[in-house]
Amino acid sequence: MITQTAPATPPAAVVPPTPAIPRRRRKPSLYRTLSRVLIMLIVIVQVYPLAWLFLTSLRTEHDFATGDPFALPSSLTWENYARAFETGDLGRNILNSFIVTMGANVLIVLFGMMAAYAIQVLGFRLSKFVRGLFLIGIIVPVQIALVPLFIDYSTVNLLDTYQSMIIPLAGFALPMSIYLFSSFFEYIPRETYEAASLDGAGPYRIFGLITLPLSLNTVVTVVLVNSIFIWNDFIFANTFVLSEDLKTIPLGLQNYIGAMGKVDWTATFAAVCVTITPLLLVFLVLNKAMIQGLESGATKG
Amino acid sequence: MLPNRSRTSVLVFLLPPLLLYCAAVLFPILQSLFLSFFSWNGISDMEFIGLDNYVRMLTADDIFWRSFFNALLYLAICLVLQLGGALVVASLLTSLRRGRELIKTLYLLPAVISTVAIAFLFVRIYSIDPVGLLNQLLHWIGLGTFERAWLSDVNTVLAAVSAPEGWRFTGLYMLIIYAALIAVPKELEEAAVLDGASKWTLFTKIRFPYIRPVWITTTIMATTYGLRGFDIPYLMTNGGPGQSSELLTTYMYKTAFTSTDFGYASTISVFIVIECLVAVGLILFMLKRKADS
Repeated sequence: MITQTAPATPPAAVVPPTPAIPRRRRKPSLYRTLSRVLIMLIVIVQVYPLAWLFLTSLRTEHDFATGDPFALPSSLTWENYARAFETGDLGRNILNSFIVTMGANVLIVLFGMMAAYAIQVLGFRLSKFVRGLFLIGIIVPVQIALVPLFIDYSTVNLLDTYQSMIIPLAGFALPMSIYLFSSFFEYIPRETYEAASLDGAGPYRIFGLITLPLSLNTVVTVVLVNSIFIWNDFIFANTFVLSEDLKTIPLGLQNYIGAMGKVDWTATFAAVCVTITPLLLVFLVLNKAMIQGLESGATKG
Repeated sequence: MLPNRSRTSVLVFLLPPLLLYCAAVLFPILQSLFLSFFSWNGISDMEFIGLDNYVRMLTADDIFWRSFFNALLYLAICLVLQLGGALVVASLLTSLRRGRELIKTLYLLPAVISTVAIAFLFVRIYSIDPVGLLNQLLHWIGLGTFERAWLSDVNTVLAAVSAPEGWRFTGLYMLIIYAALIAVPKELEEAAVLDGASKWTLFTKIRFPYIRPVWITTTIMATTYGLRGFDIPYLMTNGGPGQSSELLTTYMYKTAFTSTDFGYASTISVFIVIECLVAVGLILFMLKRKADS
């Protein structure tokens, strides 16, 4: 691929600062240099398309239609952004995505915590069975719910509402949330609960005064991980929402495909840039927490 | 078990989540199963037709089989890109001394972008007029003969719609595998190196067996996500040209919401669920058995 970039890693960079632990000083080996170059290449493949997306949103239409796609824009323009805001109701879309993400997250966190508390801490005879029941939701693909929910929604008049998106998004995310909370609750020592019980605290007070405050870190993890998927949900919104007023970002972006499939690409890319900004900012600010969350999500399995 | 819990307290905590879960997940699964025995277009009366839908699907529907094999190929491409790519990058990353955090963040970036945006982006990357990134790149490295409209060519379209899905989530799986790799005890590795183990033996004999449980989890995650892949093929080509990039999920969606054949669409989604369960069972069976031997 883009082999020109290989010399960009100067050989000097390979010499590491002497590590704190005294060990045999290694020469910059071929393996090490190669792996560095390979990592650079892969990172470029991951990131360059996104940088290109941003650059294109600043190009003039003429430049986009005729120029070399890799070249830097011959002149920068913000016009595409103006057209992007004229064509669609981006503010509305972002607000809708925000409402759906918040609504679903509240359900996922609260219900996830409650179910995990019932299964892991309170315990009951069928708890193994209920846990298995929730496991199904991790394996089963979301598409199974589309037709039944569409039919059910139309009978109870829920089609084309925020709830129509929030319910399945929360429902399908619930198992993972329960799982994360359960594995965290395992670490809270039994003695804490027993001591609280001896002091006369019932299950509700223990939940409110011990379990809830202790799980704040897990809450952050669950919210961050789920937000990525909910903010970007396409399939439920596309199936259950029809009116412009309720369209979330993924649906709003589709409006940029004009009549006859003709697309104003530079304006579309400008719109894409606007809509990915909120989540991107959150991600860049909180990426440590998010990365930790994603890592812990699977390694405990 | 908490000493002074009551039956009502268990119900108070368990019932709301269970109800939501039943309404959104469990009940729809049963409903699909039920609908799959009927012929129904959503307006007229439902007509019970027994196993006719299943017979039609398995014996008389070429598009179904075409989509099934397309979906398997789509899955294979996603798995190679996601798990293979993730394993390679995660291993390379452990040999790095600095910049690990930065690379992890950059690598995960595509996972934050919505599928609609990714579909738009890749339509442009594959385009031929004006020339997109891929074709330009091929031109530069002297493979100009391979330049083509990737999304209109029946031979390349399936790979072209699978690649973005693979690209999008490698970062996610890389993170998980990386976290497992750095948890491998250093003493084990150092002992092996002292015994003269090569990098390759170190990987196959020490590191990989150690991360096997995580590898199983990631494989299951990637497989179930791959089998439910929908957004990107649907948005980029809508299954076309012809049926060359039709997956089971897009076919099911069109059967339900374009042809409004709810009964038959439910039959296909029941098949997708069974397919997922079988896939997970197979993975557990194969990887567990290897671990035992």
